[in-house]
Amino acid sequence: MHELSIALSLVELASDELARLGDVRLHAVHVRVGARSGVVSDALRFSFDVAANGTPVAGATLEIEEVADSPELQLRGLEVFDREPANRRST
Amino acid sequence: MNPRIVEVRKDILRKNDELARALRQRFHAFGVFVVSLVSSPGAGKTALLERTLAETMKRWRVAALVGDLQTDNDARRLAATGVPVRQITTGTVCHLDAEMVSRALDEWELTSLDVLFVENVGNLVCPASYDLGEALRVVLMSVTEGEDKPLKYPTIFNSSDLAVITKTDLADAVGFDRDAARQAIDRVRPGLDVIEVSSRSGAGFDRWLERLQTERQNRSTGYLLAGP
Repeated sequence: MHELSIALSLVELASDELARLGDVRLHAVHVRVGARSGVVSDALRFSFDVAANGTPVAGATLEIEEVADSPELQLRGLEVFDREPANRRST
Repeated sequence: MNPRIVEVRKDILRKNDELARALRQRFHAFGVFVVSLVSSPGAGKTALLERTLAETMKRWRVAALVGDLQTDNDARRLAATGVPVRQITTGTVCHLDAEMVSRALDEWELTSLDVLFVENVGNLVCPASYDLGEALRVVLMSVTEGEDKPLKYPTIFNSSDLAVITKTDLADAVGFDRDAARQAIDRVRPGLDVIEVSSRSGAGFDRWLERLQTERQNRSTGYLLAGP
């Protein structure tokens, strides 16, 4: 089962991307898993939380879109909440 | 407040892919022909390599990297041929990746090599996802394994450039169905070349060694054509 290695790579990539976005709160990580990628979605889901533990990605949900007849394994996007600056918070 | 989606669209294994690409360029620049071997545990990768190293070292400057979770047993077996061998112990990781190969090569002078063999961890699943920068990926399948292995593990056969059926000296004893095996391979990867060998008797090695020579030659013609 190499989903843990894949999950570690995913978390690393997601953390890098997240760092570029500045002050946001990560809600979900969207990935596409091709049926020919050799990766099992359930195993990836299981590994994701373990891999994310202690990283900026921890606590995010993993959203997997499965694609038939494809070898792709891609981080599609990050779903984030913008943090509102405290001094400009509307009441 | 609603979340927004920031598009990324990057391959999860892009780090490995980038590293593999860099490795391939390095091998190319130094004219090193790299062959990787993948199979299930016990299909005969090390036995095939033992004989292959002994034969190819007469012609080329060869070396080998071997991956296993634990022990350097395979490396010690292969080192008996007199060829430089390095063991990569992966700990709990079920495959080699480009970084492990890159690290293992750190102390080696690529200028002093013509051919490098990389024996992956015995596993028909995970190694399929990891490009190691090799020029030729060879998938092994032994006659004792059952003819439908390719149907059960199509991804690894799909990502390979050549299939080698091993232990043919045992074919009769285990009632190996040659046609069924070849059909299974052809079904998951139409047109994939198949070579049958026995590492014990040496049967089929002529073809295997000839194939290595041709592939290497094709690459070096490629190196020249691609050169400045």
